This record gives sequence, structure tokens and C-alpha cells, in this order.
Amino acid sequence: MAELLQKIVKMSPWIYRINAGSCNGCDVEMATTALIPRYDVERLGCRYCGSPKHADIVLISGPVTAVVKDKVLRVYNEIPEPKVVVAVGICPISGGVFRESYSVQNQLDAYIPVDVNVPGCPPRPQAIIDGIAMAIEIWRKKF
Amino acid sequence: MATFFKVILRNLAQGPSTIKYPFEDSPAPEKLRGKIKHNPEACVACHLCEYVCAGGAIKIQESEDKKGIDFVVWHNSCTFCGLCEYYCPMKAIHLTNNYHTAHLQEDKYNFCEKTFVMKQKCIRCGEPIVPLSPTLVEKIYGKEGDVKGLSKMCPKCRRKTLWEGGAPKP
Repeated sequence: MAELLQKIVKMSPWIYRINAGSCNGCDVEMATTALIPRYDVERLGCRYCGSPKHADIVLISGPVTAVVKDKVLRVYNEIPEPKVVVAVGICPISGGVFRESYSVQNQLDAYIPVDVNVPGCPPRPQAIIDGIAMAIEIWRKKF
Repeated sequence: MATFFKVILRNLAQGPSTIKYPFEDSPAPEKLRGKIKHNPEACVACHLCEYVCAGGAIKIQESEDKKGIDFVVWHNSCTFCGLCEYYCPMKAIHLTNNYHTAHLQEDKYNFCEKTFVMKQKCIRCGEPIVPLSPTLVEKIYGKEGDVKGLSKMCPKCRRKTLWEGGAPKP
């Protein structure tokens, strides 16, 4: 029974997203990949979930600002292992246009081990789907 | 009721509107601003793109062996705003419609466009200079082109040549 469950669970990683001070551009594109029938990320077996405790893949957008940093780490630690982190947009990857700002101390991979990067300002929904597909492969290997 | 059936019939005729993206290619519009392509033959290394770059992604600097100029765009900091293409006087930068930007963490710092602008020697004194592209030569000297070979000289030699031989006839 447990083996069967393991097999079934492997088919559907759930997605959680964290807004780490993003301008909402990347969040809109992430919502687009999930909600609009044209892109429909649920074809890949993914589903956006509301609680970090149910999540397998976490999408993080926004430069990790000084205020939101601790909250991001707290939510990240609530996600059960194995987890895969996807940085969406140029802000969490390199700081983007907010680099060297007074409120942005460091990019995301200084705090959290990132697996996949999806640059863009914002990235296209297709690029986000690409990133999620890569993340699913990594997640299945980690399982 | 009639509109309801109309919608149903239309949807049946159209089929699903979901694109099969990761399993099938999804064409991008021609003018989409995606990954940057740099043409080192047309570039004159004027640093204008580096100056206007919103994300601070472009870096132009002399190579270590001083034989040319290294041009680097780090796509992980690029906002794909197209300012570099707009302001480039030589149209050496072009934003292609390639939107495939997702990559793994180990490629993070290699995800860039790197080109090398070769320097040529000044035909009079031998000092290395960045060569002018043919389009710029035509812009400056007109259709007959650069008769005196001024475009292949460094600024100092150009001044000397003009002083010795007088200004080229228009």
C-alpha cells in the first residue's frame, strides 16, 4: 500500500509560491500559468496549494528584501522534504533592477539552496512552465 | 438558450485552447524581446548600451591580453527592456524572440551572451584600435567610401594625415 502511494504521489507535485517583495509582475505570470486555460500548468500534474505544509515545489519571486527575509525563511522551513526551489524572475536570481538597493542585502541563493532559475522581467508563462518541468524532474530524482 | 448553443458549438468546432507547450513548440511573436544577440562585427564599443542598461547586465571591458574588447550580457540580470537595441547607434545588439530562459542553478553564471570585438592595428602607427564597421564608414565618408584609409587609423594619426594632406574633398 505504501509503495502504491509513493508511486501515485510522484505523479503530482504541488506548487507553492512565495512573494519575497516582488512587484507582482512575476506573480501575475505565475497565476497565468495556473489559471488561464491556454497555459494550464495542471496538465503536468501540478497544483497550486494554499499551505506550505502541502507543497513540494516552491516558486519564489521578488528580491529578498530585508523585511521579508525572515518570513521567507520561516515559510521555507515549513515545507516538507524533499523540496525544490524555483527562482522566478531576475530579482531573486541576481537582484535585478533592485540590486545594490538599501533594502536588498543579498540574492536568494545566499539564504536558500535554489535548483532552477527562470530569468525574465517577468518571464513568459512558457518559460515558467519550462522551469516547473525541470523542477519536477529534479524533485522525482530527490524522492 | 440560442447563445448557449452557439457557444457550445463554437467550442466544439475550435477544440481545446490549451497549448501543448513543454511537449510541443510554442511559436513566439516576431517582436518579442527575448535573449540578446550581439554582433561583434558591427560593434564599435562605444559603451552606450552599458550606460543605458536598466538591469546593469551589460559589461564591456578590455580583454586581459589587450587584443580586443570583451562584451558580456548576463541574462540573469537583464530586464529584456530593449533599451540597448534602441540606443545602439550601430544596431549591433538585437533582442531575438527566444524566450527559453529556464536553466539549472549550475549554469547560473554561464547564462550569458559573450562576444569578442577584435582590435585592429592602426595602419600608420600600429596602435590597436577598435575597427569601424562598413555602415559607419559609409555614414561618415559617403558612398565612395573611405579613400584615404582614415577609418583604419587611430585618432592621432587621423589628425596628422588630415593636417598633412588637407581635408578630404566632399
